[in-house]
Amino acid sequence: MTRAELGSLYDRSLFEQRRGIVGWVSGIAFFCLVMLAMYPTIHANTSFSKLIDAYPEALRKLFDISDYTTGPGYLRTEVFSFMAPLLVTIYAILQGSDLLAGEEERRTIDLLLANPISRRRVVLEKWLALATGVIVLSLVLELLLGLAGPLFELHLGWRQLSAAVLGTALFALFGGTFALAWGAATGARGAARGVSAAVVIAMYLLSALAQLVAALKSFEWASLWYHALGGDPLTTGFHYGHLGVLVVFIGALLAAAVRLFERRDLTA
Amino acid sequence: MTTLALDIKDLVKDYGSTRAVDHVSLELRAGEVLGFLGPNGAGKSTTLRLALGLLRPTSGTIAVLGHPAGSDEARAKVAYVAGDVSLWPQLTGADTLTLLAALHGDSDAAYTAQLIERFELDPRKRMRAYSKGNRQKVALIGAFATRAEVLLLDEPTSGLDPLMDRVFRECVGEARERGQAILLSSHMLSEVEHLCSRVAMIRSGQLFTVADVAQLRTRVGVEFDVTGDADGLDAIEGVTHVESLPDGARVRVVGPPGAFFAALATRNVTAVHGRESSLEEIFLSFYDESNVS
Repeated sequence: MTRAELGSLYDRSLFEQRRGIVGWVSGIAFFCLVMLAMYPTIHANTSFSKLIDAYPEALRKLFDISDYTTGPGYLRTEVFSFMAPLLVTIYAILQGSDLLAGEEERRTIDLLLANPISRRRVVLEKWLALATGVIVLSLVLELLLGLAGPLFELHLGWRQLSAAVLGTALFALFGGTFALAWGAATGARGAARGVSAAVVIAMYLLSALAQLVAALKSFEWASLWYHALGGDPLTTGFHYGHLGVLVVFIGALLAAAVRLFERRDLTA
Repeated sequence: MTTLALDIKDLVKDYGSTRAVDHVSLELRAGEVLGFLGPNGAGKSTTLRLALGLLRPTSGTIAVLGHPAGSDEARAKVAYVAGDVSLWPQLTGADTLTLLAALHGDSDAAYTAQLIERFELDPRKRMRAYSKGNRQKVALIGAFATRAEVLLLDEPTSGLDPLMDRVFRECVGEARERGQAILLSSHMLSEVEHLCSRVAMIRSGQLFTVADVAQLRTRVGVEFDVTGDADGLDAIEGVTHVESLPDGARVRVVGPPGAFFAALATRNVTAVHGRESSLEEIFLSFYDESNVS
């Protein structure tokens, strides 16, 4: 996008994110390539299986380690059990908290809203910019693992990979939309980041610890992490019911963000 | 009856137990430049932010050309410049003007180019590299270039040098000629005096005077320096204040000055110099009065 094409809020939000997106794409690509490059060594070495089997069961459950020497098992443990969803979610929370609350803290929201552009449109265009960033990072994740995987002897079905990436993207979008909504309701960027991070971590811990603590297992459904990645999409593919839960939560948060932002006093 | 550019009725804005705007009613007519005067913290910016719909009133109503403040219809008719302008740091001046024109949807590109030249703005720089005055220029160009029927200007010249201040005054004149209405909030009385036909004065959230500048002058009167025999001038009808000077007296006369001149004609007076009160003096006089009441 050239600067002359800046015609809308969505364009401007993307334009401002462009360097950030390039940085995050590079980081995620580097992480994926390193993980892929290690796979041939692990795949060829049967002693890794024995080593993993020797781990305490609690540790294996906590870090979702099983079938470590197979392609899907390896990726589940090294990429999708924690790091990739975490990276994309951090990006989404940073952006989500900045899009409205950051604009308010920098006091540029005044001039924006002095124009005939409704608060609803501001929230929706900002959210679209957030979603675009998440989609770009997720596509990089998908294409890199799907296309470069075979070069490192790691073969995955596109359908299964897509299911895991979609779960990752929707969870990240949930985190980012939560941060956007908190920022819309309060105008405080720091708090939006902190609270969103706390919610995301709590959901991850609930999902992970539910594998260890029987008492938590019955509350697993309350974690959106579980709905995003808990059904082992790398092996079993799409679970539309679980993904639907994420979509509903994201929609509800977005609706709340619009409503809260429309009703608020925007202080100087 | 023509619709008012801005119609504020019994406006109240509370922040917790603090009342920032206290039952303010104000009318801005089409094609009028109305000065909005008051010290810092008097409630000027809050009133403007309420008119933009950035804040919601506790009670009362504001209409912009008949549309409720904050509605899309109202904001389509408004352009705004804040006193301490904050703009998007990553964008250049030109980008910002492009974005503002796109957002407002009713902007004159040829006039924008002309204003960039007149305000001597280098539009290639990024906002973060601009001084406060240059950021102010970008916001002013963006606002004047729109065909908004109502301009809300909140201390708009606080970062401008005197030359640019002159350009600003020309632009206000051009806007008035085009029929745009302007609410000019300021604590710089000389600026308001040159540009406005009416002024509204606010203190502690309360509007205490709305009047024509000429009418205010009449109410405050004219000051005369009388050289010569000035004894007993305070007894003359219309004289409200007498201050002794080494060679005479300084006298304030309110209302028709006939009795005053008739009295001077009978005395040994060698010179009389008259001077209209400045808006600053008027403001201070009203401000003191309202403080007392």
